[in-house]
Amino acid sequence: MSDDNVVVRTQDLWKIYPQEPEPVQAVRGVTLEIARGEFVAMAGPSGSGKTTLLNLLGGLTRPTRGTVEVAGKDLTALSNRALAALRLESIGFVFQAYNLLPVLSALENAEFPLLLRGLPAEERRRRVLGIFGDIGMEGLENRLPGKLSGGQQQRVAVARAVVGEPALVLADEPTANLDSAASGALLEMMEHLNREYGATFVFATHDPRVTERAHRLIRLVDGAVESDVRQDDQRRPPAAP
Amino acid sequence: MTNAAVRPRDSLPKTLRPGSRAWIFFLLSVRNVLRNARRSLLTAAAMTFGLAVLLWIRALTDGAHESWVTGAVRIGTGHVAIQAPGFARSGRLTDRLSAAQLDTAEAALRAPDVAPLIRAIAPRLEVSGLASSAEAAVPARIEAVDPAAEAVFSSLPASTVGGSFLAPGDRLAAYVGVGLARRLALGVGSRMVLTAQGASGDITGQLVRVVGTFQSGVPEIDEGLVYVPIATARAWLGTPAAATTLAVLLRSSYATERVARAVRRRLPSGIAVLAWQEAAPELASAVKIDDWSGYAFLAILYVIVALAILNAVLMSVLNRRREFGVLQALGLTARETGWVVFTEGVVLSAASGILGIVIGLSVTWLLWRHGMDFTALMGSGDITFSGALVSPVIVPVFRVQQVLFCLAATLVIGVVASLYPARAAGRIDVAEAMKFDR
Repeated sequence: MSDDNVVVRTQDLWKIYPQEPEPVQAVRGVTLEIARGEFVAMAGPSGSGKTTLLNLLGGLTRPTRGTVEVAGKDLTALSNRALAALRLESIGFVFQAYNLLPVLSALENAEFPLLLRGLPAEERRRRVLGIFGDIGMEGLENRLPGKLSGGQQQRVAVARAVVGEPALVLADEPTANLDSAASGALLEMMEHLNREYGATFVFATHDPRVTERAHRLIRLVDGAVESDVRQDDQRRPPAAP
Repeated sequence: MTNAAVRPRDSLPKTLRPGSRAWIFFLLSVRNVLRNARRSLLTAAAMTFGLAVLLWIRALTDGAHESWVTGAVRIGTGHVAIQAPGFARSGRLTDRLSAAQLDTAEAALRAPDVAPLIRAIAPRLEVSGLASSAEAAVPARIEAVDPAAEAVFSSLPASTVGGSFLAPGDRLAAYVGVGLARRLALGVGSRMVLTAQGASGDITGQLVRVVGTFQSGVPEIDEGLVYVPIATARAWLGTPAAATTLAVLLRSSYATERVARAVRRRLPSGIAVLAWQEAAPELASAVKIDDWSGYAFLAILYVIVALAILNAVLMSVLNRRREFGVLQALGLTARETGWVVFTEGVVLSAASGILGIVIGLSVTWLLWRHGMDFTALMGSGDITFSGALVSPVIVPVFRVQQVLFCLAATLVIGVVASLYPARAAGRIDVAEAMKFDR
């Protein structure tokens, strides 16, 4: 894989939490590469290190040893300020609990990364409304998160994650709080954004609907990669026209 | 496996410098303050109440001090006393101002930066002497005054209990305290002899007739003070056109330092300028002690208010750990996350401060603008303090400086109380904060 095409590269990545009676090795020597535009699922039982690995890839926590590169930058070498700037410009997050800012409307939540990047209001709205049109959120722009269903909140969270056109979107159990219809719709939406915008998605998930639709499935057991399989295109639903 | 055919991307600008995000923090802070209306109101209520009480207490304290000072200086040597150096210590006629010095001093008081602050100017010739009648002789403080000027300056003309105050043109007249009149068995129309050391050093006497008696309520004044016309005294004591003091009464005690400084700057070193704090140091100390004991009480009040704010903001931070985690995941630095919380505290403090000022001033003005009557607390007897009668009615004094001080105190409390929660918000473990509660 050429360096230009690699979005994520980890090398012997470890995360050890000092804990009594003995330290917890949440991630153990993970080495992997993820290419631009991939739709990757990381699966595994609870405690297998999925979320910790996702946090390491997102620069939300620092590794005990090893390296993480995102969009060509070594996260372990970045200052906290540079790491925050990288998160803003190159990484989008989707969380299980949606985690929208409760005081901002759906549109304001989605445009928040652009606000931080200093885009003019008109340009922010144009970009967000374009995505809202793609994900079926028209007419709900001014609602506060508390007035949206779980599925709608997660759509806004996804819009927020992709609006800044990050190199990488990290989604931690994005369908866990959604019913099957909302989960299906959300996955379709993310596949659409993957195809249309070339966004690279990495999921941490238990959900078989997600693992089945992923291009690549990485299985983690006890913090280590047990298997890393590129899945057959036939198993995935056809791309939207 | 990647998607090759993707939409062409518009180029997005680089991240702005963090400083330009201040208004975003402000927006978030205001929205958060409004979102948690009940918490914000409770916190704001503590601050508003604290500030309103602070303003009320300061207005009354300043009013009480103004009353003490005004009472003392109107009987005494004014807010500012212009004298010959050494008179304050010696009290002797040899330490007097000449006619030329008085002219110089009066010219300094007419300066445009000083004149508007002055309510009255009164020349006085003061000596210690003996007051005697056919019945007795007692030591007395003899103050020779300009009747017209003194009628405006002194509060004693309003304390007349018999006869009347000195009138312009009076010659051999005296206005005496009731205690002194009693001791000398004098009434209005009675004659008495005043004896003192004249300018030449000789003891000299002057016959005067009592035209009025006064009761100030201050025993040492009522039993020992005699007012005579200054023209009479100048002739009697051999000090033509001289005075021992040019007493200056100001419109507000708070202008004392300013006027004293301005006049001092314009006068030669042979003329002394004393602020009331120097002329009445015991009163100045009392005011200072009262001020600081008030501040100590208010400091305690404000520590309690600060703890209430700290508690409210900190609880809010602890309840919003995930929110702060999200902000950092989205690209804010830890310090910027702290700024959001800090700005919230400052917004809340500023809003409470303004509300507190409005309420504090309004309530004090509406209920007590004509004075708060403490007669019931003082009992029936007069209370004197540092040579002045303390009025049982305290009229609050409002000053811009005082309002700004109170507002600043509230803001400082708000800022200080927000620092720790801001620091706590910036130091959260983002990964931990983002964990889903199962």
